[in-house]
Amino acid sequence: MRRRAGLGAIQKQKLEQEKYKDKGNEIQENQFEQITKQLEFFKVNLEEFASKHKNEIKKNPEFRRQFQEMCASIGVDPLSSGKGFWSVLGIGDFYYELAIQVVEVCLATNDKNGGLISLEELRERLIKARGKRKEHQEISKDDLLRASQKLRIFGSGFNVIPYGKGKYMIQSVPGELSMDHSAILTQASASNRAYVTVSFLKQELNWERERSENALDHLVNQGLAWIDLQDVHEKRYYFPSLFNECVNTS
Amino acid sequence: MVETNIEWPWQYNFPPFFTLQLNPETRAKQFQAWKNLILDYCKKGKLYIIDVRESSHIALFNNSNINRKLDQSVIISILSELQRTGHAAPVDKSKQRWEIYWHTLDEWANMIYDCISSRGLQNSVLTLYELSQGEDVQNEEFYGIQHEVLVKALQILEKDRKCELILSDSDEGVKFF
Repeated sequence: MRRRAGLGAIQKQKLEQEKYKDKGNEIQENQFEQITKQLEFFKVNLEEFASKHKNEIKKNPEFRRQFQEMCASIGVDPLSSGKGFWSVLGIGDFYYELAIQVVEVCLATNDKNGGLISLEELRERLIKARGKRKEHQEISKDDLLRASQKLRIFGSGFNVIPYGKGKYMIQSVPGELSMDHSAILTQASASNRAYVTVSFLKQELNWERERSENALDHLVNQGLAWIDLQDVHEKRYYFPSLFNECVNTS
Repeated sequence: MVETNIEWPWQYNFPPFFTLQLNPETRAKQFQAWKNLILDYCKKGKLYIIDVRESSHIALFNNSNINRKLDQSVIISILSELQRTGHAAPVDKSKQRWEIYWHTLDEWANMIYDCISSRGLQNSVLTLYELSQGEDVQNEEFYGIQHEVLVKALQILEKDRKCELILSDSDEGVKFF
């Protein structure tokens, strides 16, 4: 078909374009409105869900973890939301309270472990210190990790150090620990002897003497490792935080 | 030596506890734990004297289960710290023999004087043997107190004019006021 020429045709084309644009805007607005409505709806639902299951969330560690995950997937952090409806729920409070107890346990055991404690020991001590009621006892490692991670806002004085598979240490003294340090903790823990030596690290990690000594000296300087010079073969570096009798002592 | 049914603290089985720690903070913790342990060990075993030269025969300083011993020079440093708080004193110049006071001399002195006053024994003369081994004091904390330690505690009371020591070769006694 031959295209019609002339002013009229141009004007008509322009008009059509504008109509398209309008329609486009309209659709966009509609969608935006819908999504806003959906989000609003979702938020209302989440709030409803949270307040309905408030007690469940406080009591049941597995429920708590799933709820946390659900919140995380839509970008809500009930822990950092001190204002608004979350504060009414007191979910943040639950973790703040826990965080304070974490600090208390860390301070109380600092004398023997130098400020390094495994998540397991922390949990046992914390549960012992809490009330005897069931809901006070049901604190999962996940809860403790979340609470401990919140403490990072206080700066480098508080750190969660992953070591080994699914194992964590809570460090409550200032001082950065590197990958090498957590690798050493992993080895000391895996050996079940609470100590490492330079040749053990050479054998397990293929580290040169200098690398091992640097990392080990740092741990000694931080007060996290103790030296033992009475082995016939070589110097041993012990970790009270991994030494069973120390962990189990009251 | 004294074998006590002491409950060892966890550190006693922790091998590095027997090696002098170089980190000052760690060493402070180590020394504190040793000081507590030494006083506790001596108290449980009624041990008044430690001879550092004999340390390898004392279970306290030699844990044969883990094959660890505390070095004699370290023992002397720890005892010197105990001396600062009045819980130990060297008997000889070379600091090899030590008296250990799990109660300080002041505490012993007060304990003895309290006992004397509560029994109304002021103005009477007691032999040192009666005072430390007598039937009357069997239930007292200071029952069996070692002679030299007893004399030192009484000398404190003497300075406060609460007693007078009579120390002759044959008869050793004390008169309380």
